[in-house]
Order: sequence, then structure tokens, then C-alpha cells
Amino acid sequence: MTTTDSDASGSTAMEEAITSTDPVTLAKVWAMGGMTAVLAGLVAGLLVSLERLDLEGAGIFGSGDELFQFWSAHRVALVLLGVLPMLIALGTTIVPRQCGANTLLFPRAAALACWTWLIGAGMTVVGFLVDGGLGTPDGGGQRQATALTLMGILLVVGGLMVAIMCILSTIFSGRAAGMGLGDIPYLSWTTLVAGTIWLGMLPVLAANAVLAYVDLRGRPAIRFGAEDAIWEQLSWVFTHPAIYLLALPVLGIALDAISSATGSEPANRGVLLIATAAFGFLSFGAYAQSFFDTPGTPIMEEAIYVLAAFAIVPVALVVLGGVLDLLRRGGSGLGPRPPASVVLSVIAVLLTVAGTVLGALRVVAPWDLLETSVTGAHFTLIVGAAIIGAVAGLNHWGQELLGSPGSPGMILLGGLAASLGVVLIGAADAVSGFLGQADFTGVDLATAGYPGSATAALNSISTLGAVAFLVAGLIWAVAGVKHLAAEPGGTG
Amino acid sequence: MADMTPTAPTRPRSLVIASAFGTGAVLAYFGGLFGIYFSIRADAMAWGTRWFPEGAIELAPGGMNMATMAVSAVTMGWAVHSVLNDDRVHAYLALALTAVMGIAMVNQTAFYIADIGLPIDTSQATTLMFVIVGSHLVMVSIGVLWLGLLLLRALGGQDTSRHRDLVSAAALYWYAATAIYAVIWIGIYIAK
Repeated sequence: MTTTDSDASGSTAMEEAITSTDPVTLAKVWAMGGMTAVLAGLVAGLLVSLERLDLEGAGIFGSGDELFQFWSAHRVALVLLGVLPMLIALGTTIVPRQCGANTLLFPRAAALACWTWLIGAGMTVVGFLVDGGLGTPDGGGQRQATALTLMGILLVVGGLMVAIMCILSTIFSGRAAGMGLGDIPYLSWTTLVAGTIWLGMLPVLAANAVLAYVDLRGRPAIRFGAEDAIWEQLSWVFTHPAIYLLALPVLGIALDAISSATGSEPANRGVLLIATAAFGFLSFGAYAQSFFDTPGTPIMEEAIYVLAAFAIVPVALVVLGGVLDLLRRGGSGLGPRPPASVVLSVIAVLLTVAGTVLGALRVVAPWDLLETSVTGAHFTLIVGAAIIGAVAGLNHWGQELLGSPGSPGMILLGGLAASLGVVLIGAADAVSGFLGQADFTGVDLATAGYPGSATAALNSISTLGAVAFLVAGLIWAVAGVKHLAAEPGGTG
Repeated sequence: MADMTPTAPTRPRSLVIASAFGTGAVLAYFGGLFGIYFSIRADAMAWGTRWFPEGAIELAPGGMNMATMAVSAVTMGWAVHSVLNDDRVHAYLALALTAVMGIAMVNQTAFYIADIGLPIDTSQATTLMFVIVGSHLVMVSIGVLWLGLLLLRALGGQDTSRHRDLVSAAALYWYAATAIYAVIWIGIYIAK
């Protein structure tokens, strides 16, 4: 086992940050990077939402390709650059402590992972901004920039995988003697399950990206690197069932935060461990690649896909039952002003349950909702729940991370604004989807799938939600910066 | 006088655990590629389309590579056994032989790829084949570098029965590389 390096004396704060293998320092990089990406993703989402208000005018983006680049950037930024790193921040610092480990195992590998991810995230963002991204419907992007985006995605995936390996190894090998896997706290348990499944899915995403990159470079693409095909190969990560995995650690955060605040333990721990494990396994989505559909039943209409969408609803309800049971037995001890982490984690669980229900409705074949904005609503509910839950976790363990409790009032305010935003976007886009609006609308009404119906009003509501979500992100960013500035002994 | 011989460490083998996770991730990567390869191939076959041009893929190079990898798996096991028994001379031999066979496999594959006369952009089949075989070459190359590190550690007396985790971790990775090549050999070189 490698030990954590001690801080070098006489080095600058920047040098210390870059060369540090201290899990807390790495967690700050993961959390700040993730929060920045979430903000960027929310800005992209708002711009796309504004464009959708006036599909005839195309006032913000000049073409459908540009709109598509921001639309896909919104999803990539929130998932691979935003939520996952925020969850890894908790996994890097809190999980080892929960397991009784001295520190994170393989700290140098964890540092390598962190900086690899950061460089990859930078390349990905630049790739999107210079007319690249993950392909475009009409092939109007810059091939070199698209290749840069793919390379960035590969570095991001590589960094995330190494970080997850360090966390999982710590849970397996570093936990205190006598502590079984069934005894570890809920965040560690859900991180263990989610990390294992991510290690099964992220390499498949990498395989997709390598295939597209190799085909894209140097000559006309055969198939995989064609500009109009790249997103479709990678999009399985951003939809059912893979997307649920983002919410799994949030369930663990909720159970730990509420348990800690109420001072009570769930009565049915074994059931909750099994339910969260089932939630993870039902989230495995590497098989659901519609791009490679062969003649016959499309994968999104196969029994396994539909069954997973329905089976995850009762599983999520079981976890919700555990949360409500905790609140019932210990809620009176929370007082009139419960901690922000408790409020936000309960909201996150409720949004997760709502997301699973919408996900089940989405796969009902006669309604034909797979290509509609119900998919976007589903994404928003689950990813929104994950963001709110991750912020709740960072707030709950803020004292341990930074030595001070931070600004719970601002965190709560931001969380409520985010919840409002997620509900508005989710509800409006879900109804629009039932009315036939496409998930990616393009820049004209024909592509959007509706002839100027009531969805215009619903899109306005969705845009209001996007504004609220962005405001929440800004409030959290201010709270985070204040928290870091107030950190005892340094600026972090 | 009490026995002062230190007992073997009982701490869980973190390097082996980490290697298992890493190797699992590599297997998932190749699982994804194989899934795509066999799915598209089955589709092409169903439509009566030729997958590779007639005679383009020869059996001999793949077979030789498979034999090399299979023997290298045996020598890797020999290395683990030698380290476990603190047999340094055999450990040197076994690690060096495994690394040499890895290099031979890389050399043979690189020669065949250059000689095959099938540009990568000929078809979906060739693109997939080059990505899969190329990825495996990278995997074996990383394994060879790892073996070189192990050999240096063994020469320095650091690979012993008490500190065998790195050898066991490398062995796990190497066995996976051999298993993956078996799928390549059967799926690409034999089934074509």
C-alpha cells in the first residue's frame, strides 16, 4: 500500500494542489471541477431551452448542428463532467473514513486519475466550443474538433475509472478489521455497488469512443466515426437504464444523512442493502445500444430493457420506504428547521422515484415515447436528483471535508431552487413528450415533431425551470467558494 | 527464546484486488468491442454479405500468436510459483521468458498487420478488427512493461513470498490478456 505524501515545505499553494496526494485536496478538485461542469451544463441547457421557444427564428444558434452540439454538451457536462466527479469527491474522502481505512488506497493513482479527468474535461469542453462535440446530425462540425472531443472523453473516462478503482480497492482491502461488507455505511455500500457497475459500463463507453475515433481520423469514416453516428453510439450512457446509476450513491447519502440527523438506524437494513444492490444491477445499461440494432426487435423494445424500467420502480419505492421509516421514527428530533442535507436528500430520493416512474411510462410501446422529450424529462429528473443529492452529501460531510459547516442556508436555498427547476423541466417536458415533441427538437417545427401546439407554453415553463436550476447552481457555487475561503488554515 | 520470525501479513491483498478491478474493466472494454463485432458480423452473415475478403485472414499468424500467449500463461504461472517459493533464479527465468514471449507476440502481430494488405478503411469488419487487435497489442505491451518492472524488482530482491502481490496482480492481468486473445483467435482468425 502506498502511503500519502506529506506536504512539501516551501511550495506554493498551486504546487501543493497539483502534487498533493491528500484525498481531501483531491476531493476539492473533483468537487469544484464537477460543480463548474454542472454550471456549464446548466448554461448550455438554458440556451437550448431558449432556442426551443422560437423554433422558426433560430435566434441563438445558426443551425441545427450548433444546437445539437450544445444539446449534447448539456448531457455530457452534467453526467461525465459534473455529477460523477462530485460523487467521486465523496468517495475519495468520506468512504475511506466510513470504512475505517487510514486513507484512500493508491493515493498517487487517485491523484493521476483526478488530473487526467481534469485535463480530459478541459479537452472535451474545448472540443465542444470549437465546433466539434460528439458529431452532428448534418455533419457540419469540424472533424479535428470532434476527434479532440472524443480524446477528451477517453481521458475523462480513464480518470473516472482509475478513481473508482482506488475507491473500490479501499472498500475491499482497506476497511477496518472485523467490518464486513454488509456492515459498511450506506454511502460506502451504494458507492461499492455503483462503482462496480460503472467499471463494467465506462470501459464499454471507452470502446465506443475508441471505435469512433479510429474511424474518424484521417479518411472518410466507414460508419462508426461518421458525424451523424457518433452521438447515437454514446448516448446509451445518458439514458435509461445507465442514467439511474448516478442516483444510486444519492440513496446512500440520504440514508446516512437522515440516519445521522435523527439518531436512528433503519429497521430493515438487510432489505435496504439488497434493494440498493438491485437498483445498481438494474442500472447496467451497456447492452442498450440502439445504434447496433440488428433486424428484429429493437433493443429498446426488448423484454430486458422494458422489464428493467418497470422493475426499478418498486426497488426505488423500497428505498423511499426506508427513508420515510427513518423520518417517522426519528423525525421529531429534527426540530422545526431540519438540516439542509436532510431536506435535500429527501427531495433527491423523491425525484429519483419520480424519475423511475417516468422511465417506466417511457418504455410503454403503444405510447411511442422513446424519441420524445419524455427522454429529456427523465434525464432531468434523475440527473437533477443526483446533483441535489450530491450537494446534500457535500453539505452533510462539509465539516469533515473542510473543517467548517459552510453555509447550510445558502445550500438549502439553492437546493429548493434546483428542486423547483427540476420539477418544472421534468413535468413540462414530460407532458410535451406525450404531445409528440421530439427529444432533440432541431431548429424547426417539423423536426420538433409538433405543429405549434400547446407545447409552446410548456416549453416556456421548461425554460423557467432551466433558469431556476441555473440560479441554484450559481447559489451553490457562491456557497462553495465562501466555504473554501473560510476554511481553517488556508484557501484550499 | 521466542520465535522472532515475522509472520506473513494478513492484510487483504490490495494490489491484487486493484488489479482484479482493473482487469475486469479491461475485460468489459473488450466485451464491448466483441459485442459490436459479433453483432455486426452476424447481421452481415444473415444478409449474405462477405465479412472479410476471401483469403485475407490467414490462420497461421493467429495460431502462432495463440500458442505464444498460451505458453506465456504457463511461464507466468511458473513465475508466480517461483516467487511464492522464494526461488529467485526460476523467477528471473520465468518473468524474462514471459516478457520475451509478449514481445514476440507484439512483433508477430505488427508484422502481420503491416503485411495483411487490408487497409483499415476497407469495411466495418477491417475497422473493427484493427481496433480489437490494436487494443490487444496495447494491452500486451503494457503487460510487457509491467513484467520488466517485476524483473527489475526481482533482481533487487523485492519480489519474495512475503511481497508477492505485484507478481500475482500482473499474473491476473496476463491471464486475462491470454483469454482475450483466445476470443480474438477463435472469433477473428478462425471464424473469419
